[in-house]
Amino acid sequence: MHARPDRSPLPRFSLSATLWRGGAFALIWWILAEGRADSWGIGAVTVALATTASLRLAPPGQGRVSFPGLLGFAAFFLVQSAWGGAQVAARAFRSRMDLAPALVDLPVTLPAGMARILLLNTLNLMPGTVSVELRGNRLCLHVLDHRLPVAEEVRQTEAHIARMLRVAA
Amino acid sequence: MTGLEGYLALFLLLNLLVALIRAARGPTPADRMLAALLFGTTGVGVLLLMAHARETVAMPLVDTALVLALLAAITGVAFARRAWHAAGRDDDPA
Amino acid sequence: MTPLEALSALLLLAGAGFYLAGTVGLLRFPDVYARLHALTKADNLGLGLIALGLALQAENLAAGLKILLVWPLVLVASAAVSFAIARRAHELGIAPAGAASPVQPAGGVDQRGGP
Repeated sequence: MHARPDRSPLPRFSLSATLWRGGAFALIWWILAEGRADSWGIGAVTVALATTASLRLAPPGQGRVSFPGLLGFAAFFLVQSAWGGAQVAARAFRSRMDLAPALVDLPVTLPAGMARILLLNTLNLMPGTVSVELRGNRLCLHVLDHRLPVAEEVRQTEAHIARMLRVAA
Repeated sequence: MTGLEGYLALFLLLNLLVALIRAARGPTPADRMLAALLFGTTGVGVLLLMAHARETVAMPLVDTALVLALLAAITGVAFARRAWHAAGRDDDPA
Repeated sequence: MTPLEALSALLLLAGAGFYLAGTVGLLRFPDVYARLHALTKADNLGLGLIALGLALQAENLAAGLKILLVWPLVLVASAAVSFAIARRAHELGIAPAGAASPVQPAGGVDQRGGP
C-alpha cells in the first residue's frame, strides 16, 4: 500500500476502505441478527459479499466524507426535523390556519452531483421547505410561510453539507 | 406491557385510512401520489407497533417493517431519479 | 411502571400525536404542496418518536438499534418521493394556493414532457 495523492486515478485496492466498509456491514449484520451469535456463519458470507459489491460499485477514493462533518450534519438534521414537525403540527391544529405559502427561488452554491441531491432531499425534511425544482443554479422551493428565514436555513444546510462532503459551498 | 402499543397501532391504522381516502379523492394526480408517502411512514409505524404489541406470537414484524422501509427507500429513489438527474449535472437549460 | 417505561410510553404517545397532526394537515392544508409539508415533516417525526419509544423497550442493544434503523430508511424514501411529487405537480402546472410571489422561471425554457 502506498499513499495515494488526492484526486488521482482510482487505486486498485485499498485496505483501509475494505476494513471500514467490512466493519460497517458487520455492524449492520449484528443489528439485523439482533445480536444473536448463531447466525454469524451466514453473516460472514453476507458481509464479505456486501463488501465486495460495495467496492466494485463505489470504488474507494472518490470524495471522502468527513466524520466530524457527518456528526455535525446529523445533529443539525435531528434538531431541525424535530422543529419542522412541531411547526407543521402547530399549524395543522390551529383553528385559524396561519399559512403564507409561496414559491421562492434561491441560488445554490453547492457543486452539482451528490451534494445538491443531498441538499434537495434534506430540505424536504427541514422546517417549512419542500424542494420543487432545480434548474441550473437556481433552486425553487415551496415554503409554508415566506415570513420565516428560509434563505438563512438553506444557507446553513448548504454549509453543513459542504463540510461533510468536503466540497466548497 | 400495557397494551398501549396495540391501541396506538389501531390509531395509526385509522389515520392511514382517512389519509388514503383523502389522497385518493385528489383532486390533482399529484395529490393521489401522496399515497406512496403514507405507506412509507404510517405503514411502517403500524408494523413497528404491532411487532411489539404481539411479541408473544412468533411473527418477525420488525423485519417486515425493515423490508418495507428498505423497499420504500429504493422505490422512492428510483421514482425520484429522473428528477435528480437534472440536479446532478451542471445543466444547461437549452 | 419504571421510569424507562414511562418515558417510552410518552414518546409513543407524542409520536401518535404527530401522526394525527400529519393527517389533520393533510385534510386541512389548501394544496398538494402544503400537504407534502404535513406528511414529510409531521409523519416522519411521529415515526422517529415511535421508533425511539419502542427501541427503549427492546431486549438488547442490537434489537433496539434494529428498530431505529427503520427510521433513516423511511426518511430517505419520504424525501425522495416528496421531491418527485412536488416536481411532478409543478410540471403539471399546479399553482400553489395563495402563493405570494411568483416563481422566476430560472433558466428559461423548461423541457416538460407532455401528458
